[in-house]
Amino acid sequence: MISFIIRRLIAGVLTVITICVFGFFLLYLGAHDIARRLVGSTADPEIVARKEIELGLDRPLLTRFVDWTGSALVGDLGRSWFSGQEVTDALATRLPVTLSLTLGATILTAVVGVLVGVLAASQRGTADRIIQVIIVVVSAVPGFLIALFLVFIFGLTLRIFPATGYIPFGTSVVGWLSTIALPVIALALGAIASVAQQVRGAMIDSLRLDYVRTLRSRGIPHGRVVYRHVLRNAAGPALSVLGLQVIVMFGGAVVVEQVFSLPGLGQAAVAATLQGDVPLVMGIIVSTALLVLVINLIVDLLQGVLNPKVRVS
Amino acid sequence: MSHRTKFAAVVAGGLITALALSGCANPAASPGDADSDDETELRLGVVTQLSSFAPWEASWANQSPYLQAVYDTLLRTDADGTVVPGLATEWSWDDSRTALTLTLRDGVEFSDGTALTAQVAADNLTRFRDGTSENAAFLSGMTAAEAPDDTTLVVTLEAPDPALPVYLSQNAGLVGAPAMFDAEDAQTSPIGSGPYTLDAGESVVGSKYVFDANPDYWDAESVHYDEIEMTFYGDPTALMNAVKGGQVDAANTQSPTQGADAEAAGFTVQNYEQNWTGFLLSDRDGAVNEAIGDVRVRQAFNHALDREGLLEALAGGLGTTTTQVFSPNSAAYDAELDERYPYDPEKATELLADAGYPDGFTLVMPSNDFVPESEFAIYAEQLGAVGIDVEWESTGDDLFGRMLGGDWAAFSFVLQIDPTPWQTIQFSMLPESTWNVFQASDPEMLELAETVRASEGAEADAAAKALNEYIVEQAWYAPIYRPYSAFITNADTEAVVQSDNAVPYLWNITPAN
Repeated sequence: MISFIIRRLIAGVLTVITICVFGFFLLYLGAHDIARRLVGSTADPEIVARKEIELGLDRPLLTRFVDWTGSALVGDLGRSWFSGQEVTDALATRLPVTLSLTLGATILTAVVGVLVGVLAASQRGTADRIIQVIIVVVSAVPGFLIALFLVFIFGLTLRIFPATGYIPFGTSVVGWLSTIALPVIALALGAIASVAQQVRGAMIDSLRLDYVRTLRSRGIPHGRVVYRHVLRNAAGPALSVLGLQVIVMFGGAVVVEQVFSLPGLGQAAVAATLQGDVPLVMGIIVSTALLVLVINLIVDLLQGVLNPKVRVS
Repeated sequence: MSHRTKFAAVVAGGLITALALSGCANPAASPGDADSDDETELRLGVVTQLSSFAPWEASWANQSPYLQAVYDTLLRTDADGTVVPGLATEWSWDDSRTALTLTLRDGVEFSDGTALTAQVAADNLTRFRDGTSENAAFLSGMTAAEAPDDTTLVVTLEAPDPALPVYLSQNAGLVGAPAMFDAEDAQTSPIGSGPYTLDAGESVVGSKYVFDANPDYWDAESVHYDEIEMTFYGDPTALMNAVKGGQVDAANTQSPTQGADAEAAGFTVQNYEQNWTGFLLSDRDGAVNEAIGDVRVRQAFNHALDREGLLEALAGGLGTTTTQVFSPNSAAYDAELDERYPYDPEKATELLADAGYPDGFTLVMPSNDFVPESEFAIYAEQLGAVGIDVEWESTGDDLFGRMLGGDWAAFSFVLQIDPTPWQTIQFSMLPESTWNVFQASDPEMLELAETVRASEGAEADAAAKALNEYIVEQAWYAPIYRPYSAFITNADTEAVVQSDNAVPYLWNITPAN
């Protein structure tokens, strides 16, 4: 198990390094006129040139990369070129918002996705068909449309939840819940559909196996067969999908944060990319890559616990 | 319990949870609500992120509320654009109009307790001139800023600049404490003498800023709220959802068409104009495209545009058609000039033939991805109808660099309208102007511009009007319309829009009654 973890860690770290290298060079090579974007379209060329020197954009790209890497290794990701804020401070402020979203959406996805999948597989018939239709519809509708629909119904029409904005957990737990509820649902619906579909398929396959018939013939109640034995067998594939969905949700958070005006990483990523704020974009890339690495590692470990064959594959 | 009963229980449980949660979440307690009834709070929606609190990097226009909360400016302007006292109570030009002497208030303190002196103000001006604000050029002609004593500030220019008092009412006149000058966190931690102080703990840089009233402010009458929360809305839909959901009291809008939605939500909408949209026919020497060097071709270009139709098609009729680049509030403006180029394709074709282009000519112009493709298609159709065959060249991040570098003889754009004629002249007409991309020079215009710059009163006004008439006749531009901007306020809030600024000045946003 230890060597399994070490292997996964090494692969993950190499992936993060590769992402950072590619991210850095693509950001610089793909961006023109960074200084002009930062100072504004009406600025004189002389002021743009001043800004370029101030930001070190007149130095060779390789030198800039070596400097950035050296600082990043000791935890200094520099300052935002646009706002002047320390990138680590920006991440510390915004990461909790995005984590609130994705963690809430993950829990909701795991609970509801598994329940719906189990229900569909164990009930079959009309209930299964209705669930299938709902899953297809939800999968087909883009996330931002779902978000807008939720805002319209619950934020603007029924006025149950605030349509936009965010209250930190430390300020008010109830306030935090009220501002996070709709975004979490918007982010989770697509993932719930995927997980439910996966669980349903795996469960149906498992329910056909001989050991299930044997268990039933011994008079073990249906519920115990389904939840204790069959679900455990189906948990592996469901876990893989859930892990993937968590990563997808990080991407989805960009759209959801824009729609609900939440001050998270997604909102910062959009603004920083448009502004050419390379240090902040790099900070977001590094933190997101590390998060994905951790999520993948957790999923791999759980898979290893559930299925020893994974550890040697 | 049967499986179906369990299923129902799960569904019911979910609904109960949602209802319980919604019961806890009083919609009145939306983000940003005031803590108590006796505190007045303004929740202002802002459509631009703050770039920097450091005065020498500060922007203005849409960002002015952030900066006016924490800083004072040396001068101020009334809503109609009249310059009035700010930190300076008096100001006067010398005879050569190259030295402006300002008398500063006594007893003004920054939020860190240090006193405002003329030397601090002078240092701020020098830093702004040498800094990286997009408007640093406002002070490029300043040769010195000196403080003969604690309350006297003398600003010396290499040549007259009648717009200087206006500049000193905007970002060029922001005064930060000396402690900020070398502070690493100057961009995010303002130390000003303004009506509010930043509550950094409640703020999220780039997203939400919370300001608390400064109890010791020298102009207490201009402080209307105990707290102001400014939230950035980058997404138009999010802004309108915040408006309809009651999460903002007042906001600027990204487009005038949002006004109808805001009105339906019970907001008052005020339309005003701060930009013109149209074409810059910059290559007046014919360096890149010989045809554009001929005034008859430029006039034909103007006659080819159906301004009323374009206003309807591109802005839903929300704007005012024009042939002028000067503000309607400025002395240069002449309403009659708006009739100079009626839509007349036949006249345009004749003018092209007179200029030696009976079969028309090809004009390459840049297109971009922040304007709908349909806009370029309509332009091409109208210009093509008279023989100006437009070839759109797609651009990306390189647009500004190439545009300002003179890659295209003409291009469509949206440019600001300024309070004073001199600002407009300085912005795009002088050989050294950023938006005179070919540095084209015209002796007649320069002579009039010099009169505008060096004189005052009726003489300056007459010269500005004559200059405007001259460039309209010479068709330096092909303006189409001035689009409306809309500022919206809810029933509890009132605002007086600011002449030629993107948003009302902070002291003009007040609680209703």
